[in-house]
Amino acid sequence: MSGLLINTQQALQLLLSGDPKLWSIVIISFSVSLKAIVLTTPLALLVAFALNHGNFPGIRFIVAVFNSLLSVPTVVIGLFLYVLLSRQGPFGDLRLLFTQTAMVIGQMFLCFPILVALGYAAIQAADQRVWETARTLGAPSWFSMLTVFYEVRFGLLAAVLTGFGRIISEVGISMMVGGNIMGYTRNITTAIALETSKGEFAQGIALGLVLLTLAFLLTVFLSYIQGKKEFAA
Amino acid sequence: MNEPLLVFRGIEKSFAGSQILRNVDLLLYPGNCILLSGKNGAGKSTLLKIIAGLETPEQAEIEYSGESHSWKTVIRSIRKNIIYLHQQPFLFSGTVLSNVAYGLRFTSLNRKQRRESVIEALEWAGLTDVATQDAKTLSRGVQQRVAFTRAWILKPKVLLLDEPMANMDHESREQTSLLLRRMKSSGMSIVVTSHMQQYYDGLADQHFHFKRGRLVP
Ligand SMILES: Nc1ncnc2c1ncn2[C@@H]1O[C@H](COP(=O)(O)OP(=O)(O)OP(=O)(O)O)[C@@H](O)[C@H]1O
Ligand SMILES: [Mg+2]
Repeated sequence: MSGLLINTQQALQLLLSGDPKLWSIVIISFSVSLKAIVLTTPLALLVAFALNHGNFPGIRFIVAVFNSLLSVPTVVIGLFLYVLLSRQGPFGDLRLLFTQTAMVIGQMFLCFPILVALGYAAIQAADQRVWETARTLGAPSWFSMLTVFYEVRFGLLAAVLTGFGRIISEVGISMMVGGNIMGYTRNITTAIALETSKGEFAQGIALGLVLLTLAFLLTVFLSYIQGKKEFAA
Repeated sequence: MNEPLLVFRGIEKSFAGSQILRNVDLLLYPGNCILLSGKNGAGKSTLLKIIAGLETPEQAEIEYSGESHSWKTVIRSIRKNIIYLHQQPFLFSGTVLSNVAYGLRFTSLNRKQRRESVIEALEWAGLTDVATQDAKTLSRGVQQRVAFTRAWILKPKVLLLDEPMANMDHESREQTSLLLRRMKSSGMSIVVTSHMQQYYDGLADQHFHFKRGRLVP
């Protein structure tokens, strides 16, 4: 028990003293996951919108597929991507395995279905009159779509935050296609896994605290948004 | 009457196998007001939405300047002259001002002209005092006027109003009625749907009733 206390104390010291090794890991985590979410969001929202307003066969099936993809294990995505990117794989020539780019791509696969499914639900909650009003007032389709997005912005923001929370805390993809290279692809979760296996708990706890704080802030913010959503409705 | 502005002919529409509109014709004249009545679910809103290009009919022809075209081929180009107003208007998040200005960005007016036009429209509807208020917090009557103004500012040739005076108190109805009169005298062609014929005495020039998917005088 006192060991845990001492480790936690050391962890806090690491965090507060601005330990460069520790913070570079945190920065890598955020940089990779922010890139992934920023690159995924526009396409995912377009798909979510098309599923709501489109008029083609199989829409319900596609929505069901996205919903079931919500629970795909990250190691499966990691494995799939590893096979694609490995030397002998179809994209082996790109030399992307064990790079941040590979991590970004993997995390994009992970958050895409989350953003589509939650974005779809958010857009579905929008009043049909939003689209009709925008169109009849002369807005082109793309602007009418942005108007719909704006009216359900809290729901969409909640979708994006949920997706971000998921990818920044995942281990499987980062470990498998990132390779946990210090200063390059080692992020919070892979570092925790490594430090713990080495018996160095202080750094693991410090990084865990960063993740927990983030999770806490995301949750608080999400419930704040939830309140906004209900107020707007 | 003079030349019709637009003629819709042979509108057919069904939902899930049940036919709502059967061979409906509608002639729109400038400065003229048509009242449409009919039971709940008769197809009044559906007809207005087809005219506004918001619903797709199975069949319909549009005639203007002496030529007939299929609905599909010309609705895109004529819909900018036609505005549909919902029974309960949807006001976008934002101020009254931003709502009224919404459609102007899709016109050829420049920034200064748009500003002047917004100011003029707010005065026209007596909304200047609430211009900077959050549109969603206003009373229903005022919201309805904002929706009218948001449409009027675009100077459409045809205005389609779904039950504009339902659930309104007497005063709001008077104000709405006044706005409608002014729109009509400015040469707009107006179609309103209503169960309450008496609200439109002196405003409506023609009255049609829905009967099993057809329009009868
Ligand atoms: N998008 C839709 N999908 C399926 N059915 C629809 C759709 N829109 C309308 N309907 C059906 O078409 C019929 C006509 O509806 P519409 O809204 O045009 O009637 P209305 O005359 O405006 O009625 P109300 O007086 O209640 O406003 C109704 O039976 C309605 O249920
Ligand atoms: Mg109706």
